[in-house]
Parts: sequence; C-alpha cells; structure tokens
Amino acid sequence: VYRNLLALLAVFAVCFLLVGLTFSRQTEERADLVFNNGAEPKSLDPHKMTGQPEGRIADALFEGLTYNDTKSLKPVPGCAESWETSEDGKRWTFRLRSNARWTNGDPVTAQDFVWSWKRLQDPKTASQYAGLMHFVRHAEAFNTYDGQVVALRGDAEAEGDDEESARRRRGILGGLRELAGTPTRPVAAKAWQGFLDAWGVRDVVIRPPSKTIVDAFEREEGTFSAPELDAVLAAFEEETRRREAAAESARRHFGVDEGIFAPDARTFVVELNAYTPYFLDLTAFYVTFPAHRATVERWPRDWFKPGRIVSNGPFRMDAWTVNQRIRMSKNPLYWGADEVRLRTIDALPHDNDSTAFNLYMTGAADWITSYPPDLIDVLKTRSDYHANPGMIVYFYRFNCTRKPFTDARVRRALSMAVDRDLLVQQVTRKGEVPTTTIVAHGVPRYESPPSALGFDPAAARRLLAEAGYPNGRGFGRFNISFNTQEGHKKIAEFISQQWKTHLNIDANPANEEWQSLLERVRRLDYDVQRAGWIGDYRDPNTFLDMWTTKNGNNETGWGNALYDRLIALAADPTRILELPEAERDAFLARLRERPRLEDALSRMRAGDGDAAARLRASADARLQLFREAEAILVQEAAPIFPIYFYMATNLVHPRVEGFHSWVEEDGQRVPNLQDIHPLRDIRLNGPPSPPPRGSPTRR
Amino acid sequence: MTAARRRKPAVRAVGATFLAFVVFLLLRGVLGPVGAAATAVVVASAAFLWFPYLVLSRLVWTVPLFVLLLFVTVQMMFHVPGDPFATERNTSPEVLAEQRDQYGIPQKGFVGGTIFFVRYLENLVVEGYLGPSIKSQGHSVLEVLLPALPVSLTLGLLSLTIACALGLALGIRAGLRPNSLGDSGSMAFALVGVSLPSFVIGALLLLVFGLGIPFGWLPVAGWGTYGHLVLPAVALALPYAAYIARLARAGTIDVMTEDFVRTARAKGLSERAVVWKHALKGAILPVVSFLGPAAAGILTGSFVVETLFGVPGLGRWFVNGALNRDYYVVLGTVFVECGIVIAFNLLVDMAYAWLDPRTRSHA
Repeated sequence: VYRNLLALLAVFAVCFLLVGLTFSRQTEERADLVFNNGAEPKSLDPHKMTGQPEGRIADALFEGLTYNDTKSLKPVPGCAESWETSEDGKRWTFRLRSNARWTNGDPVTAQDFVWSWKRLQDPKTASQYAGLMHFVRHAEAFNTYDGQVVALRGDAEAEGDDEESARRRRGILGGLRELAGTPTRPVAAKAWQGFLDAWGVRDVVIRPPSKTIVDAFEREEGTFSAPELDAVLAAFEEETRRREAAAESARRHFGVDEGIFAPDARTFVVELNAYTPYFLDLTAFYVTFPAHRATVERWPRDWFKPGRIVSNGPFRMDAWTVNQRIRMSKNPLYWGADEVRLRTIDALPHDNDSTAFNLYMTGAADWITSYPPDLIDVLKTRSDYHANPGMIVYFYRFNCTRKPFTDARVRRALSMAVDRDLLVQQVTRKGEVPTTTIVAHGVPRYESPPSALGFDPAAARRLLAEAGYPNGRGFGRFNISFNTQEGHKKIAEFISQQWKTHLNIDANPANEEWQSLLERVRRLDYDVQRAGWIGDYRDPNTFLDMWTTKNGNNETGWGNALYDRLIALAADPTRILELPEAERDAFLARLRERPRLEDALSRMRAGDGDAAARLRASADARLQLFREAEAILVQEAAPIFPIYFYMATNLVHPRVEGFHSWVEEDGQRVPNLQDIHPLRDIRLNGPPSPPPRGSPTRR
Repeated sequence: MTAARRRKPAVRAVGATFLAFVVFLLLRGVLGPVGAAATAVVVASAAFLWFPYLVLSRLVWTVPLFVLLLFVTVQMMFHVPGDPFATERNTSPEVLAEQRDQYGIPQKGFVGGTIFFVRYLENLVVEGYLGPSIKSQGHSVLEVLLPALPVSLTLGLLSLTIACALGLALGIRAGLRPNSLGDSGSMAFALVGVSLPSFVIGALLLLVFGLGIPFGWLPVAGWGTYGHLVLPAVALALPYAAYIARLARAGTIDVMTEDFVRTARAKGLSERAVVWKHALKGAILPVVSFLGPAAAGILTGSFVVETLFGVPGLGRWFVNGALNRDYYVVLGTVFVECGIVIAFNLLVDMAYAWLDPRTRSHA
C-alpha cells in the first residue's frame, strides 16, 4: 500500500520538476522602466483599438504624422517633418521625413498613410473610431454610404423569418412607399415617428441635407397629408440617389486623387470638408497611425503579435505574454532614436489597484495609474503623487421619455438640488472638479456658458413645485442605476441623500452588472443612470455632438432641433453665411448670445486679404455655436446632470524624468487633459528602488 | 486484464476512440495532423488494451455530457442581457453587423444560440478550433487558455500539496488526541482558516512578507520566478488546509473507535503500527472525497488570488470571460473546468477503490 503512496509522491515530484523547467526559461531581468498599464490591451491594431491602455502601447510602438511634445503637448513633427495648409484651411500637405522607417527597414511612405487612412474607413475593418475622421473629404461616404444605401434600397439576400429581416429585405424606401401608399392617408405624425424608430431610419439617414427630411424627422404632432407624404418619399429617393453617387465617387477618388492621396512617396495630402481646428490633435492619435501593409495583409487578424508586428515608433515589441507583460525595447531604426533614452519598457496589465500599489511600493514598478482609493488622503501629500483634472466627465443621464423626467423643470430641479462641492470634498476626495457643464474645462479657447443650475435648494424646490410636485409629493420612487462598483455606489447614495433632504423625493441606488446595464440603457429602460464620457480630442465637439437627436450615444430620448442645427453648423460655420437671409435671421434670432456670433460672422465675411484672420473668425464662430448648444444642453433642457471631471492621477517614482501633469501652453500652466505621457521622452535618473517612504513632502 | 477486455469491448472501443480524438485535437497544433493522428492511434490502442474499464466507460459518458453542457451554456449566453461588442461608447449598426459577421455571432435568442452552437461544434470537430477571443483580439481561445493552464496547475498543485500536508498533519494529530491542547490549537487554526477569505489572508501575507513590514522577502505580484509562487500558493492553500484538518480530525476520531482498530490493538500491535497500518487509511477517506472537487476548484485557478498577486492564471478568464460576454472564452473555460472536474472525480473513485476495500466491488 505504501508503495502506491510513494508512487503518488513520485508523480508529484515529476510535476514539480516540470514546473521548475517552465520557470527557468522565464527569468528575465527587469526592464529600464516598468509601468502598470491597468488592463490587458484588447487589441494593438491602431485602427481597431479604443481605450487608454491600448493607446499607451500604440503611442510607444507607432508614430503618426505628428506626436505630442511632452512639455507643451503641442503637435510636433513626427513622421512628417513639415506641413502646410491652404488658405481656406481645408487642404493639408504633409512632407514626410526621408529617414522615417519601419522596424523591418522599409521606408515609411505617403502611400503607407494613404493605405492606412483608407483602411480605417473601410467598412470591412469595422473600426469603431472611423467616425472621428469623417471630416476628411469622401471619408464618411466611403465608410458608411454603401451600407446606408443597402438599408434604404433593401437587401434581397437578408436571411431570416423575423420582422427585422423582413424589413431589411424591403428596405426603408420599400417601407416608406407602403406608408405613403397606405389607404388611410393622411398619416398621423405618431405613426410616422413609430415608423422611423422601428426601421431605425435616423441611424441610416444621418445628417440629411434635405430640409424636407429634417422637417419630417422633427414633426411629432399633427398629420402628414398625401402630398406631404409624396414629397417625403421623393426626398428620400433623392437622398438615396445622392448617397449612391457619393459612395461611387468615394470609391473612385478616395485615396486616389481626392480626400487623401500621395503625389509622391514623401508627400501626403489631406483634404477636409471644412476647416477643422483640432485636426492636428488627431494626427497624433492612434486612429491615424500608419500600419505596415504587407504585414497586415499577411495576417489580417493578428498581425500585431510579437514576431509579426512591423511598426514605426520609438519602440518595438519584443514579447507579449497575456496577463503578464508587454516587453518593448528601443527601436534603433526610429528617426529620432538618438533622443530616446529608455532601452526597455515593461507594461504590466494588472487591473487590481492593490496589486499595482504593492508593485510600486516595493520598487517593482516605476509608474502606476491607479491605487486603492482609500489611501487617497495619505497619497495626496506625497511628492510622487501627480494629479491633474482630466477630460473625463462623470454624469447622470435622465430618461427623458419616462415620467416625471419628461419635464425639463424636474430635471433642472434635480440638478440644482445637489451640492457637488460637498460631493467631491467628502465622497470622491481626489480633488475632482465639480461641474454643471459638460465640456471639460481647459479645452483650448473654449469657455462653457455660465450655468444656471448651480446648487440652489430653494430654487430647486420652487421649480419642482411648479412642475406639480410641491415638497416632492406624488413624485414616486425611482432608481439610480449604476454599474457595480464601490465608488459609484457611494456617489449614488450621496446624491440620493441630497435629493431626499432638499426635495423630499426618494431615489433608490440600484447597482447592476455592467453589460446588462448597458443593454437596459440602450433600451431606454431606466430612470436615472450613471455614465462617464472620455473626450477623444481637445475640442467641445467630442462632448457635444453625441447629444443630437437619437444619436447612438445620447440614450436619454431627448432631442432638440435647434441643438441639432447648431452642432451641424459648427462642423462648417461658413454654411451660415450661405443661408438665405431670412432663414439666417430666423436662426440667429433664436440664439442667446446673438451679437457674439454675428461679430464672428462679420469677421469671417470681411478681411478678404487676410486668410488667417478669416480662419480665426471661423474658429470663433464655431466655438460660439458650441457655446449656444451647450447652454441648451446644461441650462435649459438638462437631459443630463453633469457632476464632476475626473482627476488623472499617477504615482511616479522620483527617478522618472519627463513626466508632466501640468504643461506650459501659450505661457499658461494648463493640465495635461488627456493624461498623455509619451514614453519617447521619458528619462531615468538612478536605479530602480522602492519610492521614498519616511515623512511625506507636500508639493 | 484479458477478462476485462472481453467484458463490453464496444464500450472500451468507444471510450478509447474518444480519448484518441481528444489527443488528436490537442496535439494537432503542436505535431501537425499526421503526428497527432499517429500519437492518437498509439494512445487509443494503449487505452483499449490496458486502461481500466472504469476509466473508459467514464470517457464514453463524457461525450454527451460535454455536448449537453455546451448547449446549455450557449443558450444561457444567448439569453442573458449583454453583448460581446457592447461598450459604453455606442457602435454604429453597420460596424456592429460587420463585427458580428467577422466573429460569427448570430442574433440573441434560442435560434441564434442554436445556430452558434452548431457552428461551434462544427469548428471544434472538423478543425479543432475553439474560436477567437473577442476581448483579447488577435488571440484564439487556445492561445489564451493554454499558457494560463500550466500557471494555474503549478500554483494549484503546490497549494494542494501544502493544504494536504498541513491539513492532514494537524487534523490527524488532533484526532488522535481529541480535546488535548494540540487539538484545540489545531481547530482554532482551522476555524480561522475556514472563516477568513483568501483575499484577507493574501493581504495579510503581503503585508508581512511582501511589503517589508517587517520582512519584505518576496515579490508582491507577478510571475516567473520561484519567489512569485510562495505567497499566492500559501494564500490559496490555507483555507483548504483548514477544511482538510477538520475532515481529517473527524475521520480519525471515527476510525479509532472502529472494531478493526480494537482488533488490531487486541492482537498486540504497537500504537504506531495501529495508526499507520490500519487507522490512517480510514481516516483520510472523507478527505479524499473532498479532494476531488477541491482539486478541480484549486487547479482551475482562483480569480481573487490571481488578481491580487497578478498571476496570469486561468481564474480570471472564467470571471472576465463571463463578464465581458466573450462567448468563445466562456465555452473554452467550460471545457477546461468540465474536463478537470471529470478527471478528478475519476481519480477520486480510483483512489477510493484502492483505499477502501468495501467499495472495490462496485468499480
């Protein structure tokens, strides 16, 4: 019997021996810089990825036309050594460096950029971020119109027996013809809106230029007479033909001789639909990074694995062990290799705050981006704690299709009854910036409208009484839905408490698993929901264009025609000048700060000699349009309830140099809004060690 | 053996074939189709000739079990809310349709689930492909689970050894001298171990041995050296050790009052011989039956311990796969878990047959 026991022990011994063998291979020395990236990247394909951990790696491995300078965060020449703009700001000509190379030695050419930018817009790539670059001429048509035309005309090959597939087979035009030919004409606006929702028309016919369609989208009351229906049908048919033609033209010209193209190997030309002031912010963002064509075509799905990936950035990938580390080393072929000081970098994927913090405190990591929230009071006073307000807003959505939140007065009252200052001081405590507006503070040159919805319990009570709920009577109980997380729970409890105290209404904090909450929000099956939004570039557009009617990210059910108009015009303010005078006047008459916009418009019209002044005026007009839109959003309609801007916090070992949370911009000290820390410019001073303990020093 | 072979050769053949198929699928990536097929044939013949009937009949049963389990899992995934492509940032319908198409994910509901299930089985049987991971793009399920498996096995094996050694030593000692000081001490330890969850134990261990208050000998997180093994293995083992100690104590107390122990004592054997030769085997029976499920749990990794110590094991794929609705990863983890549970229950049954003569006839 004990012989068998011995055999068992022998088996165990063999197992351990095998284990020992797997280990001996893996002893690697510590990289120069070790940082915790906070998550395992979901993808390292610049055209398919989203998210900050992915971005940190992509910024190290790839380089776009420009990159962000560490000290100023301004775009400085990357792959492109210089560029020039046309007078109207629409045409950009980039001159590429002659010594920009891929890690396999190939030169980085303008054709690489053309191919990569085209790949981003290719519907087959299914890039979530393609829309970010739709301001490039033909890009939107290339990316979406083919699909839209199929949805409009119908897809004979759509399979399935359900209603959804039947609709797809008939197409929106087919459905519309039936609606227009219905014997029960006229058709009620309610039935029309029901048709729009059921067939997802607004998702397909995005930003229609036709006034007939826009008006039809907006009409929610009354009826459509027979001639009106025929006119709508005609307009849709016209729109379909227009999109077909645009898609055809994009197929023929996009990436060939219009939109983006390469006259020669070192010249890359980009044509924009309109002057876009934040364009150079995006040439340093990963969606515009080049990918190596031969490599991608050889392994379309997983070309970015170690051993395959060919990149062009300051670092190259050596190894990627999932859930363990990504090892990168200096790319000797990089044009600026002389300036790169780090020889090796390890990016760790730990998502647990304590794990990250333990690694940092023992000197096993030099830079971490998260730490246990309970330690905030201790950490805040340390010299290695870096914090700055970021471009992430924490807010609540109101379900504007569900009583009592259908009433703007109710939403405004709820917003005014919460003391956000107290919230950030007592609950979140990282130094977050409380806010009643949605565009991140610090977006260059932009100033949010002064908010009328600051903390004012008395006014909030009055407003609630006006709406028919004096002292909260008859308001009913409702849920604050948030995804399960301790921090969200504390905030929801605080806000529910405030509403109880100041308005005498009962809100019930209700946690829910992330995915099921997302689905519920998409169905508009909630009362109040916690959300967050990360700005992608430093411009109001990234926070405001999502609130247009039925936008996929709106999810409040709220919509406002003037708001939609403002956002649409902001994409190209010169279009205001082209409007017929009567229409322009009617539009301007509805604005709050009409003189400000008129001033910018007149400057756009005048100064024919000075193109730069005209562009500046156009940029001013644009920001003013955003300011008007934001005023509607946060003062008047309040479908959302902004709470605070997150802090970007980092613990960085003192030996790490070139890490800036606050930067100099135009002589001012501004926060590093996007929390960008290019590894290219980081230097080390001294060997790895645990961070100083002892007595903390306040900066 | 020949007698066994004559008994129900059909069942033996089916079991061996199934085993061969599994071997073929597993090895195809490493050896290529020809090498894998050759190995599979060798394994199958060896199994047919020499494997105990118990093992082969179990293998036959696992086939419908796996299929049923996969079907139920797929249907559950296609009925719970959530979607592998859903993020807080909304995706346009066209992009969503393209992504669904690329990853072969039909619409939700029973019909979609069934289509997915059939496609999955087809991929599995024809190509031996477990599908791509959706949330870890560019990696197949095999590529993410295969490197995680040895990590979890290593850690689990070590913890299991620690748990058994510590638990049995404490439990049997306590059981031999019930109500002594040693007994109370052991059981106090067991009570603490059972009550404290492993993340608390882990945090305490980290504080004492990792962060340098007062020692700081061991790395706090990561993987790759022997040092990295110690803290997570102990944190994982202690609750199990405590439970094993209690089972072993109860078993020992029971067995010491049995007739055959009295007989052994009566025929003049030394106390030492009584305990080692007769009592022990009975005493550890409850422990053995606990070890089957416990080993399956410990070897498939622990989400909490793996996250806290930054261990790249299987545990996090179980949890994150489900949370992210990463359908193929979920099914992959079902495979691993199911396979390990079946394997360990089989081992336990065999151990029982060996330890306790009374159960042998059923085998």
